[in-house]
Amino acid sequence: MKNIFASLLLAAVSLAAVDTQSSAPGKAVGNPSAPMTIEVFSDYQCPGCKALADEVLRPLKTDYVAKGKIYLIHRDFPLQMHPHARQAAAYANAALRVNKYEQVSAEIFRQQSVWSANGQLDAVVAGVLKPDELKKVRALLTDSKLLAEIEQDVALGNKHNVRTTPTMIVTHKGRQYPVAGVVNYGILSKFLNDLLSK
Amino acid sequence: MRRLRLALRLVLAAVFVYAAYTKLRQPWLLFALSIDSYQLLPQWAVLTVARTLPWFELVLGLLLASGFGLRWVAALTSLQLIIFFGVMLRAYAKGLGIDCGCFGAGEALTYKTLIRDGLLTAGAISLTVMAFKSQKTSS
Repeated sequence: MKNIFASLLLAAVSLAAVDTQSSAPGKAVGNPSAPMTIEVFSDYQCPGCKALADEVLRPLKTDYVAKGKIYLIHRDFPLQMHPHARQAAAYANAALRVNKYEQVSAEIFRQQSVWSANGQLDAVVAGVLKPDELKKVRALLTDSKLLAEIEQDVALGNKHNVRTTPTMIVTHKGRQYPVAGVVNYGILSKFLNDLLSK
Repeated sequence: MRRLRLALRLVLAAVFVYAAYTKLRQPWLLFALSIDSYQLLPQWAVLTVARTLPWFELVLGLLLASGFGLRWVAALTSLQLIIFFGVMLRAYAKGLGIDCGCFGAGEALTYKTLIRDGLLTAGAISLTVMAFKSQKTSS
């Protein structure tokens, strides 16, 4: 009962705080005033999200984000069907507090098949953190503010009508374009160039 | 029988014209991304289908509405819907978390989409059978 009440309270706080552009620093890369924003709604336990991160987001960061064309925001959208996804998101968000978000996030994806099978996320995260950082991260896992941030991302996803992961919401000149699933980088690149040329 | 045939023809015509309209009003490359997410076709084929399919749907919808060449138009409609249904069923069975792409971007592929497409396919096949039967009766 207490847990249900806490979840409801978190969801209420999150919904009230929903803002499409806001994101914890570190979960977003690039120039916030770039002409285009892409929000990636992702679940650490979803194989498609790992494929998107490896095959699409990596070159996208080099070709667009680093050149100031795109502001890329990671949004957590752990699905109910994935029992460890929320905990993985909590580890990544906690790592943000010790400035190791990128490393931890990448490691969680890299070892997805391992922890998805055994649930041993702590061992995966321990591989890329110093002992003092790991201690801080562990302590943050139950932090209500951190959990509220994940709920805020989920609420934002629901507002965008996200039903599946990965889903990218491309925003350009006030218009939003949802792109679901793992897509070919070549075609995505053509689409982005076409929008940016307008 | 004639009323049912008319109703099926008009419903399918409306669905096809609407499907074409929703695709044509958005950037065609966004539709290309929807097609690509099914992970079936090479890039050149994805781009070709994305360019041509909405216009094909529009023509089919208008022909269905007019009733011109109904036997062949209904058969083509059935064929297209059978292909769509098969492709969607495959994607759903594989657990691809993708958009249907049926009426523009932003509609997730779920069991409800499959039911809707299955009903449309059954309707198109029924219309084809009725159209061919009525031709036999009149000749």
